[in-house]
Amino acid sequence: MKKFRVYFDKDTEQDWIMEMSNQGWAFENFFLGVYTFKPSEPGEYIYQIDLLDDWMGDKKDFSEFMEDSGVEVVAQWYRWVFLRKRAEEGPFEMYTDIESKIVQYKRMEKFFLVILILESIIFLVEFLAAIRTRSMALIIATILIGLIVMILFHNVLKCKEKIEALQKEYH
Amino acid sequence: METISPLTEAFFYILLSVRQPNHGYGIIQEITQITEGRVILGPGTLYGAINSMLSKKWIQLYSEDKSSRKKKEYLITDRGKEVFAKEVKRLKEVLMNAKRMEEYNEKV
Repeated sequence: MKKFRVYFDKDTEQDWIMEMSNQGWAFENFFLGVYTFKPSEPGEYIYQIDLLDDWMGDKKDFSEFMEDSGVEVVAQWYRWVFLRKRAEEGPFEMYTDIESKIVQYKRMEKFFLVILILESIIFLVEFLAAIRTRSMALIIATILIGLIVMILFHNVLKCKEKIEALQKEYH
Repeated sequence: METISPLTEAFFYILLSVRQPNHGYGIIQEITQITEGRVILGPGTLYGAINSMLSKKWIQLYSEDKSSRKKKEYLITDRGKEVFAKEVKRLKEVLMNAKRMEEYNEKV
């Protein structure tokens, strides 16, 4: 079964994939918003989504390490990875202490921040061109990029919120 | 020598688990066992901690057989042993001072 979804938040995306798993649909692949599922026993797998530190260098190292630790890397999209473990093998959570949870959200915050800056520059260029030419196509493109900029901004804020909440838990 | 004091629980138990060569899965298993399931290390937490300790040279890669894709094993270094010993010293002090509370409670 294939489903098209657009997620901007990995936690809600993960919740949805888990919900599918509990209904007997095991996530198998991801490509451009299309999620592929295969029938399975309900709740057979536990899924986690993670963001790699550096997608050029540690991709292979990361996958091998996870497999050595008994975790299957199901799919990968750019720096995002989808991991799973059989539920019968016990609990599965990628990050189990506050320190590493904070590191994970900081990595995500940085990831979104870099794209936010790039998209903002593109937005500005498009915006100026749209004013100058008054072309309908450029105006639509500017609005679309503006929306993406807003979503990215929202994501950066959300990461900040989560980091702050974790830091409070610490003390 | 740069150290984080006190060590996080994850760092402490990983250092302990690589006193002899051990791989990712073995480290998670051993920590679960010796803490009777209180500390179950997530593989993401372990991966981050191992990379951090490799770059600090607290641990080293012990074996890596590229041809047969054997599991990577890690081993504590002398620097890692120093960091661990320092932490144990701190923990002993904490435990000793904790007795003051018991002694006080016995008096009253």
